[in-house]
Amino acid sequence: MRCALSSLLLIAILGGCTATIPKAALRLPESTLEVRAIQTRTLAAPSEIDILTATIAVLQDMEFNVEHIEKPLGVITASKITDADSTGEKVGLFFLDLLCGVGGGNGCNNSSSAMDEQHITLTMVVLPSLARSDEYAVRITLQRVIYDKIDRIKVLERIDDAETYQQIFDNLRKSLYIQVGEI
Amino acid sequence: MSRLLQRLQLLGLLLLAGCATTTPANVTGAGTQLETRQIQTREYETLDKAMTMRSVIATLQDLGFVIDQADAELGTITATRLHQYTMRMTVTVVEKDAGRISVRVNARVGENSVTDAATYQDFFVVLDKAMFLTQHKVD
Repeated sequence: MRCALSSLLLIAILGGCTATIPKAALRLPESTLEVRAIQTRTLAAPSEIDILTATIAVLQDMEFNVEHIEKPLGVITASKITDADSTGEKVGLFFLDLLCGVGGGNGCNNSSSAMDEQHITLTMVVLPSLARSDEYAVRITLQRVIYDKIDRIKVLERIDDAETYQQIFDNLRKSLYIQVGEI
Repeated sequence: MSRLLQRLQLLGLLLLAGCATTTPANVTGAGTQLETRQIQTREYETLDKAMTMRSVIATLQDLGFVIDQADAELGTITATRLHQYTMRMTVTVVEKDAGRISVRVNARVGENSVTDAATYQDFFVVLDKAMFLTQHKVD
């Protein structure tokens, strides 16, 4: 009996060592069309170079570092590291320290815990429209990893927030306008 | 008594030595070379290399990947997806003779290589659609 239990335990432990790869890892999720619409805009421009140049300028405006450009494929990748703590969180921690100090407490250092940072990666792909020669489909994808102050990963996610993409495209339109004049 | 102690020490040393194994480097990976290639590769007709690469990029973006690197000349694309787990993919697009294009994909989830044929099949199902749309000039 004891032997059988030990064997079961061993099998369970060894089973735990086997890595599982999600079954549907490379299947299209149902939300694909919706996400694609959020991430894509069609823009008119004289050439692909104009859109790429305007894009690089926008990335610089948004304080990204351009990491890689592959002109023949219209691919630009960029990244930036920023503070991931919200202003509200920081203000809250500041007042907590203030109250702690007024109350005569020791070690009032809650603000030092607000040290999360996020690594944002962005890809922008410019595809010439297959139907019209002066139009380009621009698709942006964004991901981020949030680390806490001891470098543990807190969040690992794709950014799907429609407003963020809209802001980037608004900036891109402005940049394109400056680049090539009124379109 | 001292002999028993010596034997116990020797046994202890042997047990400890048994623990001191070095982790295998696992540079060459698991699985046979030919089998792995078959699972990971698909050949296409008629499309040129650049259009195939653009279809691969569109497919990766549909699947939620961010493109890390793309090289049109060498035909390689690497991409990462951060969603619950980290998945990295490398895709190579190579021109074969008689107007055929070969697309090879390999994927890793965290520290593990994806060896499951069905997962690669899922990728090629999505890529087939993207290639069809590109061939028929549908945006």
